[in-house]
Order: sequence, then structure tokens, then C-alpha cells
Amino acid sequence: MKTKQLIRLSAFVLAAVLFVLANNVIAQKKPGPWNVPAKYKTMKGKGDVAAGKELFAKHCKSCHGAKGLGDGPKAAGLKTTCGDFSNSDFHKASDGEIYYMAIIGRDEMPNYEKKIPEEEDRWALVAFIRSLKK
Amino acid sequence: MKIIYSFLLLCIFCIPITVVSQETETTDATEQETGPDNRPAKPAFESGLLFDQQTANMQQKNTLEFIIQHRFGTVEDGIRNLYGIWGSSNIRLGLNYTILKNVMVGLGTTKFKKAQDLQVKYNILQQTRSNSIPVSLTFYGNVQIDCQYKVDDTLNVGKDYTFADRLSYFSQLIITRRFNNQLSLQIAPSFTHYNWMMADTVNSSTEDAIAWEHDKIGLSAGIRYKISPQTSFIATVDWPLKIKGIVEYKDFINPPKPNYCIGAEICTSTHAFHLWFGTSQAILPQEIMMWNQNDFFNKQFLIGLNVTRLWNF
Repeated sequence: MKTKQLIRLSAFVLAAVLFVLANNVIAQKKPGPWNVPAKYKTMKGKGDVAAGKELFAKHCKSCHGAKGLGDGPKAAGLKTTCGDFSNSDFHKASDGEIYYMAIIGRDEMPNYEKKIPEEEDRWALVAFIRSLKK
Repeated sequence: MKIIYSFLLLCIFCIPITVVSQETETTDATEQETGPDNRPAKPAFESGLLFDQQTANMQQKNTLEFIIQHRFGTVEDGIRNLYGIWGSSNIRLGLNYTILKNVMVGLGTTKFKKAQDLQVKYNILQQTRSNSIPVSLTFYGNVQIDCQYKVDDTLNVGKDYTFADRLSYFSQLIITRRFNNQLSLQIAPSFTHYNWMMADTVNSSTEDAIAWEHDKIGLSAGIRYKISPQTSFIATVDWPLKIKGIVEYKDFINPPKPNYCIGAEICTSTHAFHLWFGTSQAILPQEIMMWNQNDFFNKQFLIGLNVTRLWNF
């Protein structure tokens, strides 16, 4: 009797876990296009890739993954996918657009204006993201 | 006195290091072209805490910081007490808010002594990238209210024990230098004062001091070495100094012992995690400077944890 109950309980727990995982995967959608204000589109700046790598590890890696593939440990818990920074389509965006997406953010992508207050650091981050292109 | 001499020697050695680093960094080609870069240097530490110590780190204005500080019991009982994890622990929950660019205020509550505390941190000077100001200078001060229920005959507090007797104060000047991206150092002289101390009497027969001091001058030092963008090794020490010139009684009985800590820090965008082996189970700095009787080299150390969370407004 006890064994049967244990099997039922295990089956229930397994089903619940699978349901949550499946729901999570199904619910995750691709991000829509960004509406980047015109003043950001034309912005340009120079940044130190090494400094950007350090900032990326601290602020971005947990979602975007160490190589920007969108496979960080927090990525699966988001409603939208993180995107792949190694993809050449992503790099069609201008530097200013990447700056806007990385620093200003929207929805699940947080605003980093206060966490990365210096322009020099922001452009370093953009430079590192650019370096992830394959 | 040996510690004072050590401190003076340390200061003497620090000055040439500062001068040498100034020379090295100002030879940077970019600086020669565009003039000295007098912007503030990047923070020397990732968080406002360095295990048991405070740092000069000031979060952005309008940032709220929630802090959980946890100290397990000492490891001396070994596996019987799972190296202190099953032992009596001390916990503090705190909230800090940066009200101005260079001023932070905070409050907290601690398990030991049911202590409530208020604190303030004021960044007086900020190290610059050109080394025109070679160090950061920050004042940290707090007041602790001991909220234990004190019955006359149990703690011998006397009938004239008032609210003011529950107060203790800690003031510290934190001198910090970020040498490079990896290495940062801080030295912080401090003054602790307790309005009331336990059994503050003198043995009438021998006239020897058997009491605790009301005041204590201390010296803290901390070093951080970053091994990856998120991980650093940290070592700190808090020395309660034995200065005979300011002693209230004839001799020191049960002088507090130094608090040594060694461990690691992991920082993310909004969190800081500290995990270390340290001597003192107390959390507030005046408690460490005045009361620590654990001896690091006699297996009287424990596991400490800090977790911080930031919100920007």
C-alpha cells in the first residue's frame, strides 16, 4: 500500500515538474522589435572591450550567458528569450541602438543608467557586446 | 604599544607606495595628451561591507540597500555542532539609503542584545583617477541601543540604569586606496564608547582593575584582491588597541582580542555575497572592538555570511 502511494506521489511530482517546465518553455516568446528613439540611433562612442567584459560579467551574464548566447541561468525564467549576441542579425543594429537596448532597457530588460552611471563604461559594454559577433 | 608602532610603520610604508603609484599612473600616454583625469576613481570595493567592516563605497543616490548579516557559532566543538552551523547564531537585518551623492543613512536590528542601531556614512574625499587625491576618506558613525530587558538583580545594572545607559557609539575614519583593478586596501582608525559597562568597579582589596573599559581606540585594515570580474579574496583585521595612556583602571583585564577574517566575495549587479571565516560573532563594530573574546588561533572562529540587495529609485 505504501509503495503504491509512493509511486502515485512520485508520478504527481514528476507531472507537476514537467508541467511547469513545459509551460515555461511554451510561454517564452521572442522579443518584439525595439522602438529606439532617433537620438540614440546615431549615437557613437568608443569603449574598452576588456572593461566591457568585466561589466558584462557583473551585470549581464546571469541572463545573457558568458558568451551572450542568451543561455544564462536566469534566462529560462524570463517571459521573453534573451537573444543571441553572436548572431550577425543582431549586429545590424547601430552602436547607439545597442547602447539603448543595454542601458535604457524595456519590460524585462532592466534599466542600467544608475548601475552603470559612466558613459565610458556604457560604451565599453557596447564594445564588448560587439566583440561577441561570430 | 607594539600595535601602535606597527601602525606607524605601515603608514610610513604606505606613503612611498602611494607616491610610486602616482608616478606610474601619471605617465599614461592619454593623460599626457589630455591633461590629468580628475574624475573620481572607480570604487575600491564592490559593496558597502567588507565582512565585519564598513567600506568607503557609496551607492548611487536614491539607492536602497537591504542587508542580511549572519554569524554561526564557533567551530571549536567540531562535528558535534556541525562546525558551528547548529550552534547559537547572531543575525542582523539592516536597511541603508543613500540620501545624497556622498551621504548614506541606515538602521538595523540585531539578535544579540536585541540591539537597534542607526548609522551614517559620509564620503569626505574621493580618490581621483589622476591621483591628485590619492585616497578616499570616509566617516562612518553609528549608535547602538541595547534593548535587552535588564532586571536589577540579574545583570547588576543598578536602579539608576536609564535609557542613556543603553547607548554605545562607534566612529571611524576609513582611508581607502584602489591601487588597480584588482587590489584595494583600507585602513580605518576608530573610537568606541559605551555609556555603561558591566561591573564597572575596582577590586577594593587589591585596587586592581576588574572592569571593562568604557572607551576603546581601534584600528581596522582590509585588503581585497579581485580574481575575476565577480569574485574577490578578502582579508580583514580589527585590532582593539591597548593604550595605557587612556586606560581607566590600573591594568587590562580580559582585553578584547583581534578579529581576523578571511574569505571571498561574489558580486552581481544587485547583490553582494560574502562568505568567510572570522573571529567575532558580534556584528556591530563597537561590539567587535569592545567584547570579542574569541581567539582565532585557538579554534575560536566561525563562518560568517553577508547578503546585500540593491534597489535604485
